[in-house]
Order: sequence, then structure tokens, then C-alpha cells
Amino acid sequence: MFEKLTDPTDVILHEGQIPIRHRYTPGVAGEAFFTALKEEGKLLASRCPSCGIVYCPPRLFCERDFSALAPDAEAGPGGVLESFTVGYVGVEGEPLEEPRALGLVRLDGADTVFVHFVVDAEELEIGQRVTADLLPKAERTGSILDIRGFRPA
Amino acid sequence: MTARRKHEGNGSPPHSFLGPRSLTDPEFRDAVGAVDFAVDARYAWDTGVAISTYLRGLKEGRILARECRTCRRILVPPRMFCEECFRPTDRWTEVADTGRINTFSICYVRWDMVALDPPEIPAVIEIDGATKGMGFLHKIAEVSPDDVTVGMEVQAVWKPEAERTGSILDISHFRPRDEKLRTDAPKPFSRRSSETRKR
Repeated sequence: MFEKLTDPTDVILHEGQIPIRHRYTPGVAGEAFFTALKEEGKLLASRCPSCGIVYCPPRLFCERDFSALAPDAEAGPGGVLESFTVGYVGVEGEPLEEPRALGLVRLDGADTVFVHFVVDAEELEIGQRVTADLLPKAERTGSILDIRGFRPA
Repeated sequence: MTARRKHEGNGSPPHSFLGPRSLTDPEFRDAVGAVDFAVDARYAWDTGVAISTYLRGLKEGRILARECRTCRRILVPPRMFCEECFRPTDRWTEVADTGRINTFSICYVRWDMVALDPPEIPAVIEIDGATKGMGFLHKIAEVSPDDVTVGMEVQAVWKPEAERTGSILDISHFRPRDEKLRTDAPKPFSRRSSETRKR
């Protein structure tokens, strides 16, 4: 019969690594959003001309009626905390030194919710007022992390 | 902002705005808010019972084979299952580190189009002691490319024992058995080694 390996270390392994790199570009509306965030500290949104729904971050078409949209509206920086969760482990499963809160924020003037950290908050409560805390202009790079998070207003 | 990013705002479908078009290279490289990410795609490929034993044999300077008692074939590289008899092979055996060239190629460019000087000569080598047609791919060196022929008798040049790792490259290359055909041309691969295993 077959010889069977009983000690897994008997097996010779060839180890390698496949180089896979991605670059995600945020698209036309996403780039407009990040450019306005970086340069002007504004949160762009798009309003649907036919149903009136305001998306923030902006979209190029309305998910409900497929109308063409443009990033021509503005939302926030204040908003309402619609939901939140507190994470104690990072994305790799490593314990975090400080737990971090993630919130869903409905920005003033927008109908959609915006996901980001909730910072500088002792107690969180659904429905509480929060406001976007932006980095100083010199430190902004055109990233979602140009917003430090939402802090209680 | 390029033209396609303008929007008329008159409620009509802005075809030029939504029209499908790939990003240009500068648009791709300079995209605001782009996120770069590298997937950690590591793997470990296990060589199995037959090839693990074969590779450990190479580290000891031996070429190991498997024998099938039904068809009486000696299989190099070894496998635990005879594909002709459809049954497990029966025993380990050692074959010589000499053989003859079944076919070969002369390569003047590397896989990534880098010029090779001197050229590399990969060859399928039928190993002495194994069933005819059995053997493996390796490199031929210490010979002028013009002198390589199908059927040429060759012998393995082993790396020094301390440098062997349990890899097919524990054999540095094969060279002609006929000393008159050997050259001193610099070897195109690995480190020059004067040690040749005598058996």
C-alpha cells in the first residue's frame, strides 16, 4: 500500500508569495468628494433631480430611479448618529489598545448614512448630534481619514 | 477636471458625463482618494511523499526512483502510483547520476527577455537505470552549444554537500561525459563547483 506520512514535518514545502497589488480609484463622484474635502473641507453630496434624495458621499446615478446625478450638493458637517458599534479587535483580529467606535451618521441635508469613527465620546447614544472633525488643511491628503471622525456636537 | 466631469444640470441624461471610458494613466496614478492595497497571497506547496523523498535523496547526492513490479518500470522522478498499471508502486531504488540527452533547447533570452550570454541549454535527460524515456529537465553546461546533440551522454555535477538544500538545483547542471567535449566556458548558472560526485 501507499507509504503514509505520519510526521507532517517530513513533507518538503515550497513557500512562495504571489504579488497582488490593487489600486482602488474612487471614480468621478468619489474624486470630486475627496478633492472638495481636501481643498475646501466640504462634504459634497448629490441630489436626485427627480426624487429629491440626497446622497452623501455623492453618486453618479440614483439607486432608486436611475437618474443621472452630479456631485453638486453639500451636506454636514453636523449630523445625527443613527447607529454605532464599538470594536475591540482590529481587522487582523489583533486586540486594540483602545476600543474604537464606528458610527452611521446621517449628515444634515443628506438622506443616506455615512460610516466613520466616532471620536472623543464617553457615552454614545442613538440620535445624538455629532459633527465631522476634520484634520487641518495642511494635513489633509484627499483620504477618508482627512475626517478624524465624528465627535459629539 | 476633464470635460466628462462637467454636468449640465438640466435634468437631461449627461451622456458625456457617464459615458464609459477607461482612466488614462495620469488619471489612474493621480486619482484623489485612491486606496492602494497589497494582498498577502502567501502559499506553501507540499511536494508529497514521492517528491519529498526524491528531494531528500538529491540532498544526499542520490537520484531515487520508484519501481512498479507489474510493468517493471523504474520511474524517475518517482511517483507513488503507476499511471499505466493503475496501482501503487512497490519500492524505492537508486538510479545513476548519468544519462543521455533526449531533447534540448538553446536559450539566448531569459523568460523576462533579458539576453543570456552565454546561452542556457535546458535539456530533458533520460537517466541511466530508469526505464527508457524516464528522466527530467535540467541544464547542460561546460560544453559549447554547437557540440550538444540528442543522445549525448551526460553526467550530473553536484553542488558541494554543504550547499544542497533538497532541491532539483542540488544538481548544479549536467555536463558531457566525454571530457574532450567539455569546455571551461564560464557556467551560466550558480556558483562554479569543482566537486563532482563519483559513484
